[in-house]
Amino acid sequence: MVEIELRNLTKLFGEVVAADHVSLTISDGEFFTLLGPSGCGKTTTMRLIAGLEFPTEGQVFFDGRDVTGLPSFERNTGMVFQNYALWPHLKVFENVAYGLNVRKIPKDEVKERVYDALDQVELEGMEDRFPTQLSGGQQQRVALARVLVINPAVLLLDEPLSNLDAKLRVQMREEIKALQRRLKITTVYVTHDQEEAMSVSDRIAIQDHGRVRQIGSPREIYNVPQDIFIATFMGRGTLLEGEVTSSEDGVQMRIGGITLQGLDSTGRIKQGDKAACVIRPENYSLEEPSEPSNVLEGEIEWVFFIGPYTEVRLDVDGNKVLVDVPPGVEAPVGGRLKVYIPYKDTIMLPLEE
Amino acid sequence: MTLSWAGSPSVKERVERLRREFDPLTLTQTLISYSILLAFLVAPLSSLVLQGFSYQNAFSLRWFTDILTSPEYVSLQSRGGRMFEVRRDVMYIWGYDHGILLNSLVVAFSVTVLCSVIGIAVAMIMGRYEFKGKSVFRVILLIPLLATPFVNAYVVGKVFNPRFGLLNYLLYDILHVIPWRISVDGLVGLVVAQTLSYYPIVYLNVVASLNNIDPSLEEMAENLGATGFRLFRTVTFPLFLPGLVAGAVITFIFSLEDLGAPIGFIGASANPLAKNVASYQIYSAFAEAMTGQISPKTSALALLVMIITVVSYVVVKTYTSRRSYTMISKGGRWNPRVRTPGLGVQAAICISLLFLVVWGAMPQIGTFVLASTDWATSGTLPTRFTGEFFRALLTNNDVTRAIANSLGYSFAAVAIMVLVGSSISYVVSKRDIPSKGVLDMLATVPVSVPGISLAVSYFLFFSTPLFRGSIFDPLTDPALMLILAYTIRRLPFMTRSVYAGLQQIDKGLEEASMNLGATRTTTFGRIVIPLIVTNVISGALLSFVYSMAEVSTSITLGALKEDRVPITFFISQIVYGTAAVGAVSIGASLCILLMTVQITAMAVSTIVLKQKASFLGV
Repeated sequence: MVEIELRNLTKLFGEVVAADHVSLTISDGEFFTLLGPSGCGKTTTMRLIAGLEFPTEGQVFFDGRDVTGLPSFERNTGMVFQNYALWPHLKVFENVAYGLNVRKIPKDEVKERVYDALDQVELEGMEDRFPTQLSGGQQQRVALARVLVINPAVLLLDEPLSNLDAKLRVQMREEIKALQRRLKITTVYVTHDQEEAMSVSDRIAIQDHGRVRQIGSPREIYNVPQDIFIATFMGRGTLLEGEVTSSEDGVQMRIGGITLQGLDSTGRIKQGDKAACVIRPENYSLEEPSEPSNVLEGEIEWVFFIGPYTEVRLDVDGNKVLVDVPPGVEAPVGGRLKVYIPYKDTIMLPLEE
Repeated sequence: MTLSWAGSPSVKERVERLRREFDPLTLTQTLISYSILLAFLVAPLSSLVLQGFSYQNAFSLRWFTDILTSPEYVSLQSRGGRMFEVRRDVMYIWGYDHGILLNSLVVAFSVTVLCSVIGIAVAMIMGRYEFKGKSVFRVILLIPLLATPFVNAYVVGKVFNPRFGLLNYLLYDILHVIPWRISVDGLVGLVVAQTLSYYPIVYLNVVASLNNIDPSLEEMAENLGATGFRLFRTVTFPLFLPGLVAGAVITFIFSLEDLGAPIGFIGASANPLAKNVASYQIYSAFAEAMTGQISPKTSALALLVMIITVVSYVVVKTYTSRRSYTMISKGGRWNPRVRTPGLGVQAAICISLLFLVVWGAMPQIGTFVLASTDWATSGTLPTRFTGEFFRALLTNNDVTRAIANSLGYSFAAVAIMVLVGSSISYVVSKRDIPSKGVLDMLATVPVSVPGISLAVSYFLFFSTPLFRGSIFDPLTDPALMLILAYTIRRLPFMTRSVYAGLQQIDKGLEEASMNLGATRTTTFGRIVIPLIVTNVISGALLSFVYSMAEVSTSITLGALKEDRVPITFFISQIVYGTAAVGAVSIGASLCILLMTVQITAMAVSTIVLKQKASFLGV
């Protein structure tokens, strides 16, 4: 098990910047996720760790050792590919045994370790099948067993669940998380699905256009996003833009006819700036809370019954605001609604770029 | 800030990248590929170019001006020949002699046009109509592709013979439907023989293009009011045009370098007009080469023919690669535009196709008749069956030796092709090394290099003092040169087949292997090879067949030593008439052997290996 450090890692494909000065440290045994929209460079960053790509600039360290120039087969990383990349001409057993065979492990030990790995992913009895005879979920498990069997220093998972159906996806992510906890293996996980990222990760790095925008625990990233991109990428929310009227003791902002008070975790907002305010729909309450809160009142434009809650779109002085309302509350289209949002849940972010 | 260093990787980084790209496997494969291609393609052809452009050790265009200005090679006025000329009771259709080079071009051009017309017509019928017996026609339309070197033209000549020919016998003597006997011979004879052999090349290329056209494109045009010929001219034709030119250029090249038809015709009728084409002239100069010399003028002619073929090939390849329309069809049904016409039309289709097939398969049928009866000596019709010519394949020492030689050369050539072909395909499709485009080009271009030009270049290059007396010297022993000539000439079949297999392999399959600790060499052996093995075998079978039937270098280089001659040289000698009368039947039975090998290989390739039958194209 190792600690991974990326230092100033940059990768160019011609003129395209796939990874842009990426610097981060992944601790030993951590479940670390690279999250971002497609084309953001997360897979490239993972492939740089695996040694399947080599950086234009910067270095990769495993436990302080510079591995930047090492080819993939000398890095002892175990990568699960998005399409699993199972070898169609080899049976399940041979697929899993491959990494051991190229390491010239004695036959008996290979057998033992392969069966052990297949047990771990609950594929007992499947060893004589060919990959094409397996379901998507089973193929996924074979891909996992194939890398676990070599006791890799790092487990690399490239969108491992994207080819599975919704139900299986949830089940597999729980299994992967459990497996990782049991083995205490340093894991890098790449996904574009923010819910998936939040549910499994110890820490998340959000990447966009090659650059890492923020690194933090799922809670930090969700509750204290550092910029508008992250705030809108993670979860649902309402984004309102306006002008900062005061930046002392929190930030006060005027948006058309409304004035909102909120918190600036970035410390970059000054009076007179243009700024944005992000509010999560689940953070409203219908009754006035004890803590200091903003009040919004508007006409109900749209109502969506989701199940656990009802999604309501309010028109507040021309601003569209998304609010989650408990399912029991009556909210007719055209009616009026008054909602409260605590200052601490009113996220203020600088408008940049 | 982020783009300030974009686009200009440092020298150090480039060196690093090269070092990583050239792992032991890639390095070995690149070196093997380049050394074979440089030594046995680039170097000999360069010496041909050098010789063609030099006179008295200085650069000169003398040989070319010689050729282009001498009426023997290029003459706008007819130097002889007969066209639709009636003398006594015979109408002679031979064509006019306009000099060796012009004759070659006119023949090749006519063959290309005729093959295109027939090819398009057949392709439109096969690709657009459903009729009884279509699956049978799909197979028998390809019969002309079966190799019957020399004997095919001999049969055509024999059938068209004004005195004893089957055609005149039938139409003039029995049915009295023509006012004269007709004699199709000379240049027109070459055109007929080559058209009958090559039309399937155009047909196959066009039908492949046609099947690739998204039917909705034509439906859209119809929907907008274009029907019938207008639809064909404005939509269908432009869309299959790339396939057409691909097939047409191969036909043109094959016709220009063909030796089988001239020699076959001379064997059948001894008409000197059939000799007045460039390929034959270069070939006959080889007979003098036994003494160790090829005249610079012959080399220059060989070079000129090669320049014409290679340039047309490269032009067409550039054109088709820019015009390869990717048919974008998102969803929806792919409803092939196949119509089932009424029974009357179906019958008409069948009869016209059958007419074509009978003509097209005539050489193959004739070969079979020659081999199994006394037709070679009996006149118009055979009188009795005999197995003696087939028996000769086993008992005649000269024949068995030729068979053994050809088998040996072809096996050896295929072994080298497997190694070189898979190396080239792998490097070109999976690695990112500088100059891989050159490698790709060098491996493909031999399709367009006339065998006869390659033979001359081998002779020029490897009989120089540098190699004299070594195993490379064709005058000492042509065996190695033949093997390498086969290798180079058939390499495109091999690389294309392997390349097709490699393109099916997802990059991840190799990366997964290397990620799990395997070097690239191990990955190649354990993952890549098993996944492309059927493509390799299929390519090897095809290359083997075409090596066995190889003509140009076999009857030139192969002639240099008596106990080294391959099958095709032996057949050419028989048909040409240097061997005893009646022996042409032995040549025919050798052709039957070649066809059997070919059919077996094709069957194994399509039925056992489930590979699409590879065909000739750009």
